[in-house]
Formats: sequence, C-alpha cells, structure tokens
Amino acid sequence: MSFLELKNITKRYGPMTAVGDISLSVEKGEFVSLLGPSGCGKTTTLQMIAGFVEPSAGTIRLDGRDITRAKANSRGLGIVFQSYALFPHMTVFDNVSFGLEMQRVPKGERKPRVEEALALVHLSPYAGRYPRELSGGQRQRVALARALVIRPPVLLLDEPLSNLDAKLREAMQFELRDIQRKVGTTTVMVTHDQSEAFSISDRVVVMEAGRITQIDQPYRIYEHPQTEFISRFVGKTNLLPGTVTAATAGGASVSLAGIRVDVETAGLSAGETVTLCIRPEKLRLTAPTQGLLTGRVADRYFLGSQWLYHIDGPLGTLMAVTPNDGSTPVETGAPVGLDWSPAVVRIHRGTLAEAPDPALEVAG
Amino acid sequence: MTRNGPVALIFHTLVVLFMLAPLAIVCLVAFTPENTLSLPTHGFSLRWFEAVFHHPDFVQSFWNSLWLALLSATLAVGLAVPAALAITRFEFPGRGFLNALFLSPLIIPHLVLGVAMLRLFAIVGATGSFGWLVAAHMVIVTPYVMRLLIAAISGFDRSVEQAALSLGASEATVFRRVTLPMILPGVTGGWLIAFINSFDELTMSIFITSPSTVTLPVRMYMYATESIDPMMAAVSALIIGITAVAVLLLDRVYGLDRILVGQH
Repeated sequence: MSFLELKNITKRYGPMTAVGDISLSVEKGEFVSLLGPSGCGKTTTLQMIAGFVEPSAGTIRLDGRDITRAKANSRGLGIVFQSYALFPHMTVFDNVSFGLEMQRVPKGERKPRVEEALALVHLSPYAGRYPRELSGGQRQRVALARALVIRPPVLLLDEPLSNLDAKLREAMQFELRDIQRKVGTTTVMVTHDQSEAFSISDRVVVMEAGRITQIDQPYRIYEHPQTEFISRFVGKTNLLPGTVTAATAGGASVSLAGIRVDVETAGLSAGETVTLCIRPEKLRLTAPTQGLLTGRVADRYFLGSQWLYHIDGPLGTLMAVTPNDGSTPVETGAPVGLDWSPAVVRIHRGTLAEAPDPALEVAG
Repeated sequence: MTRNGPVALIFHTLVVLFMLAPLAIVCLVAFTPENTLSLPTHGFSLRWFEAVFHHPDFVQSFWNSLWLALLSATLAVGLAVPAALAITRFEFPGRGFLNALFLSPLIIPHLVLGVAMLRLFAIVGATGSFGWLVAAHMVIVTPYVMRLLIAAISGFDRSVEQAALSLGASEATVFRRVTLPMILPGVTGGWLIAFINSFDELTMSIFITSPSTVTLPVRMYMYATESIDPMMAAVSALIIGITAVAVLLLDRVYGLDRILVGQH
C-alpha cells in the first residue's frame, strides 16, 4: 500500500467537473509533481489533499488512514502556498514557531526546532525580521521552514516558485529538491512549468481537463508522451500528419505528403492515419539533398546554448534545435537538409486534434 | 515622490490655514480674561476653563458623551466585524439587502433619524434611557465601521488563514491569532471614526437626549442659544486638545497612516 493514495477522486462544482475520477499513488519519500495548464484541476486536487476542498466522490488515504473527510487542521500536512501566505504581523521566528505552538510542543523544545528549520533554509540571521522586510526568495524559504518544522508526513507545494524571477527560480528549484532529499518528506507539487516539474520530481503527473493523462518519470514523459496534448505541452515538438503505407518487420512505413519515412512503432496497420512527433533537438541539419528532406532556413534564433531554426520544406515549417558547439550556424535563406533516425519518431494514432495552442507552446 | 512647486506650496499653505485658522482662533479666544468673545484679547487668563469645571452640567455632559462614544463605537465594532466577514466572504440569500441595510443610515439625514427615534423612544417607553441612546448612536456609526472593515477584509489573502489551519490551528484560533490582527488597521480605524462621529453628533441627539443624558454637543448647543460667552470657546479648546492628544497617541502607538491607508 502506498503512503498517499487518491482513489477515484472527483470534484464537481454544479454541472462543472473540476477533477474527474483521478487515482494516484505516492510512495513514501517520493517527490511527485502535478503538471498541467491552468484550469486542469491540479490545484483543486492539491486542495483536496490539504482538506480545503471536499471531494464529491472518492477516497484519500494517508498511511493507510482514510482522511477524505478529515478537517484540514487535523491532517498535519505542511503546505507552501503560491503567495507564501506568511503571517505579516509575526516575525520569521514566530511564523515558523506557530505550527509547533498549535501542536502544543513545549516552549523549551520549540526554540531549537525553529532554529533547526531556519538553518535548513539558510535563514538563521533573519529570525527577528518581519516578512515585509524579506525578499521574495527569503519569504519562500520562510514558508518552507514553517511547513517543514511540524514534521509533516506530506509536504504540499502550490506553484511554489512562480512568484520568483527566472534566475532565482532555477536556484530555488535545486535547493528545494536538496532540502526535500535531506528531510525525506513525501512531497506533492503543483506546477504549470514543465522544466520545474522535470528537474526536481521523481515522477510527473500530467493533468488535462480534470483528468490524469500520464504518470511517469520526467524523462519518459518527455521521450514517450502518451498523447498529442502531452507532446505539445511538454517541450517543443514537430507534429506531422501521415498515413501508414505498410507494416514492416521493424515497425512501419509512413507516407508524409508523399515522402516515405520509417518508424519503429509496432502494431500499425496499412492505411491507418497517424501523427508523427519529432522533437526539434532530434532533427539533424545536413547538407542539402543529403537528408530525408530538403528545406530552407526561414528564421533562426540564438538561444545562447542552442540555435533554433524554423525550416520551410515540403512538410511545412519544422523546428530544429542544434547545440551551439562553436561551428558556424546556417544562414537564413540557405537551403539545408533534415535527417533523423527512425528511433526518435513517436507515433500518435489518428489525425491532429486541433491546431497547436500558441499559449501552450510558450510553456515549452 | 515629486516635490511641490512654489504655486502648489502656496496653495497647500492656504488650504491648511483655512482649515486650521478657526480652530486656532477658538483656542486663542478661550484664554481671554474678558466677558465677551473678543480678539485681539488683552491679557491671558484661565478663568473660562475654571468656569467649565465649576459648571456641573458641562462636566456631567462630558462624561455622558465619553461613555456614549466609547460604548457605541465598541458595540458597533463588535457587530460590524462578524457582519463584514459574512458579507465579504459568503454568498447567502439577503446578502445584498443586509449590506445595504448596514450602510443605509449614511444616506438618511440625522434630522429625520432624530424625529423617528424620538417617536420610537416614546412608543417603547425609552425616553431618558442611556441604553437606547447608545443603540441610536450605534445605528449612525456602524456604517463607517462597516465601510472600513469591508475594505480591509476584501484585500485579505485567504490562503494565510488556510496556512494557519494547515498548521493545526482551530477556527477560533485562526480568527484570534491571524484574521483579527491582520484586519486590525480596519478595526481600529473604524472604531476611531465611530468614536469621533458619536462624540460629535448633535442633530439626532437633540431629539432623544433627556436632562440626565444630555451629551456635550447638545449641552453646548443649548448653552449657546441662550448666551455667548468665552466659556464656549474654552469647552471647544478642551475638546480640540483631547482629540489632538488621542490622535497623537494613536499615531505614536500604532501609526496613523496604517489606520487610514491600511499599510501593513
């Protein structure tokens, strides 16, 4: 039996279903992220675990105990809110000490525990300050210390890094993971930022329209997205519609607007309509006519460590990313060949559901 | 912050002068040794202050007004805190009506309220009752408290309360340790405005005070209709002094801008 278990959890608001029949098991000590666009039900799910929202159906078990209807103040979970939700009228020390006070920890024992928690987040010198006297990153740490000091069985993080600037967010990501490893607290984080979810989670739960569409390790989700939505939401991707012409020994042969491409996916049958997904970094630029396709560089963008090319060809505009390894980048307007190995192609059955949503592309 | 230009400075000085001059003149006149309200005054005397303290009616009315303002402001806050919390946080039938009801005394002229209360007091046999006077003042001051409290509660981040709950606090503890301290600027500001409004109220009180419950403004009004002498100025100077001390104290202890602007 897993440590935290959500079984067939549903939340309806009137006729609207915010979360529809989701099940999730989290092991002890695991770091799991709920990833999805806004409105996908991830925050509602977190609020149900926290006890702020009551599920319409389903059960939540913590360490074997049914807590579905337990009050929020009896669950003993540590929560870090997006707005940090620090007590503005209390010092950093009193903020962290509050939970211990509520648990009736004797005064003499409180002080060392608060100090220990503040040391964990490197805030010992700030114990006497008020939240308004701290920077965003420091407030974030206070919130984390306040949640961890009560030694919660589960730590819940609601978009914990979204209010920090890019540089700090990256640093905090690793620190968060570091702290979580150190204390070993089972953690569930809600985020809409895939790089955040990928870099620090053991497993990522992708949610879409109130449902879970994939639960997997970050690398597997990136490399083997189970739906077209995931391949678009998680990172950048080229989606190419095609038709299977023949099943072969090692996979299948697909025709993309008359161009024949081999894939390694088994179980496809001739005549089937499919969508090919190829990550931009899996495309190789070659000399014109030497690749599978020939195109022309429509635009190129310098991303620091990488070059991003938009290449016009017979299949429309494709994205390709090459590392900035010091070699001369291809000029805009120049003809270029595109090549890839059959192993990197992922197949989704059926046609493109809808045009890619630009808002979701940005999240990549 | 941009600095004021010379024209703006002159304008601001004139506005401040216009507002302060009457108060300053009243205070000056209060120290006259003469029998009439005269300025410029010849000499300096505390005889009119002495006269106030030897005038038992004024002393009695002062205590009446003080108790009345303390009680009505405190009770109004006690009523308005739960009411404002309910109105801003919950959706329930009659919410809009309740909100309008609490704020409605603002738009009813005090003269009308006075006549209505006079009638009500006569019907229930409450004429001369101090308790009913407090209730009538509560009606007038509650809207001010409600306005400030609703503003304070609307800008409240509820996740702070959720955080306290998650740390194991009971709902009562959350209110006492988190919610109340966080809306305290609204509460104290509301209480202060309620106190000043009640202490200052004349129009309605004229109708519903009886000889034993006459408030200071009513006493001053009655006195002034019969005779004008510098004792009125002395009473006014005392009220100005007390108010100024109270506001200064509040500023020292709590910070006026926190009450009036609501900064944390």
